[in-house]
Amino acid sequence: MKVLVTVKEVAAVEDEFQIAGTSIDETYLEYDLNEWDDYAVEEAVQLQEAGIADEVVAVTIGPERSEETIRMALAKGADRAVRIWDDALEGADLLDVGAKTAILEKVVEEEDPDIVLSGVQADDDGFGATGVSLADALGYEWAAVVNHLDQDSVESGTASVRRELEGGVEELTDVELPAVLTIQTGINEPRYASLRGIRQAQRKEIAPKTLGDLGLDAAAVENELELTDMYEPETESDATYFEGGPDEAAGQLADLLREKGVGAQ
Amino acid sequence: MLDFVGLESDLGDEERLIRDTAREFVEERVRPDIADHYEAGTFPTELITEMGEMGFYAPNLDGYDLPNVSETAYGLLMQELEACDSGLRSMASVQGALVMYPIHAFGSEAQKEQWLPDMGRGEKIGCFGLTEPEHGSNPSAMETRAEAADGGYVLNGSKTWITNAPIADVAVVWARDKSSDGNPVRGFLVETDRDGFVVNKITEKLSLRASITGEFGLNDVFVPEENVLPGVEGMKGPLSCLTQARYGIAWGAVGAARDCFEVARDYATDREQFDTPIASFQLQQEKLAEMATQITTSQLLAHRLAELKERGDLRPQHVSMAKRNNVRMARDQARVAREMLGGNGITSDYSPMRHMANMETVYTYEGTHDIHTLILGQDLTGIAAFE
Repeated sequence: MKVLVTVKEVAAVEDEFQIAGTSIDETYLEYDLNEWDDYAVEEAVQLQEAGIADEVVAVTIGPERSEETIRMALAKGADRAVRIWDDALEGADLLDVGAKTAILEKVVEEEDPDIVLSGVQADDDGFGATGVSLADALGYEWAAVVNHLDQDSVESGTASVRRELEGGVEELTDVELPAVLTIQTGINEPRYASLRGIRQAQRKEIAPKTLGDLGLDAAAVENELELTDMYEPETESDATYFEGGPDEAAGQLADLLREKGVGAQ
Repeated sequence: MLDFVGLESDLGDEERLIRDTAREFVEERVRPDIADHYEAGTFPTELITEMGEMGFYAPNLDGYDLPNVSETAYGLLMQELEACDSGLRSMASVQGALVMYPIHAFGSEAQKEQWLPDMGRGEKIGCFGLTEPEHGSNPSAMETRAEAADGGYVLNGSKTWITNAPIADVAVVWARDKSSDGNPVRGFLVETDRDGFVVNKITEKLSLRASITGEFGLNDVFVPEENVLPGVEGMKGPLSCLTQARYGIAWGAVGAARDCFEVARDYATDREQFDTPIASFQLQQEKLAEMATQITTSQLLAHRLAELKERGDLRPQHVSMAKRNNVRMARDQARVAREMLGGNGITSDYSPMRHMANMETVYTYEGTHDIHTLILGQDLTGIAAFE
């Protein structure tokens, strides 16, 4: 069984930074493996360690610099990686979900995995839709926001998963493979890369591919979305302190809640 | 994080990943509880095998499931461990440089097979017995002795200031071989459950409190011939181990000082007096400027040592200079950082005073500051002041 994990290098801004138009200068950015993807990698490596997966392949869309981050996935146990980049991608302001889906769809067709694990969302652009969109394009089954995967079920060709719904409700569901699962933080405890793993990762393959290699052209990354503005949201804090003893404070809180409409029906 | 002249921007991918991983591990797994351990005088023993899984013990050695990373990567690891606490770096130094290194360098194949993989994983713990109650700076005057007996040796003597002795499975004991001509110093692997091996914990420490220290006595302890380290005779044995460990200390001290600097800088930019952050005062800026300069020059020395070590040109005297300079630097700068924190700086909420107290140990162990001065004096003049 083969597992494909989509991973993304995400940018985080330093405490102090400046926005120039619709971008932030490199000097204020630090790059790291997307947190959700770290959990997806761990889930894949656990499937491999349990003898269920034979191969774990990581795929990313990113510039050469992102190899540093992708190596972390290899150091934690992924067998090899594929990195998609070329001038058309370099020139694109924004890669929307459609563009990522078009690229990843081709990679999935080439790799033919039994299961695709993807982080629920990326820490920087936060579309939170790529995994499900990919499943739709491929005609695969899918489950989003998975916080438990029954490993034994995977072996039988059906993934039994638990997924988070809104309002603290969870759903247990079975998904036929091949499928895309988007992985929620907390599904496991991601390991640290060991020094041994880091050394081995230096010898693992990161295959660079262009859009052309995947049978795509620049049209694939033409976005329907346009980045129009970037600003820091004002943070407004509106805190009310209730004075007095517990009785008095509770009374004031009850008044406020009633006023806001809690329990109005 | 202070890296003023960008030495770490020139690291290779692998070295950067190792630094980042060590930093993350320390931040998440150790730092949250280290001050409590320090106060309680305990070491987080549950981390011993975790650090083994990470490959933190003797990662610069080759074979026997060891990672064989570069000397720079090894140094960076020591830097990140000591940025948290000298006790953490001491754990890795003793296990790796003082116990695994001599087994790797001087041990028989059977000894290597028996100990290195298990010690690398942290499943077996080692300690290093050189210092004695009456012999510190002059270890060659050691009284611990080995007499040949049927199929092996009988050991007698006592060793003190032994990191990890109370939890160790094996001790590397350096003793005079009374059965050979000239009574050469030889190394013995002594399992700590052998009859006649008695260990006591040293508890009254005001420094390096998050580290387990002990003393042990050898009362007619028999070890078989195969427990002798076959590859070395004389003081070269223990001294070559100490060169390895001191190399790690030279790096570690940079980490401890950097942590002090970062805490002091954060505090100074945050803390307001006279309606302005104290960092706006020239007196505070001078402290930060001097601290950053001292840390950076020490860091340069550590990086240069790594290059020399990697290509085989490192001399013990180079290591003496770096250990001497960098530890003195960390000791002085920890005090300055504590000063900048005002009264808050004397609590365990902030690391500088903990580092400052730790540096008293680091200044003294693995060759005192003064002894390293004399080693350099001898190297520069050709005249030994201590013989």
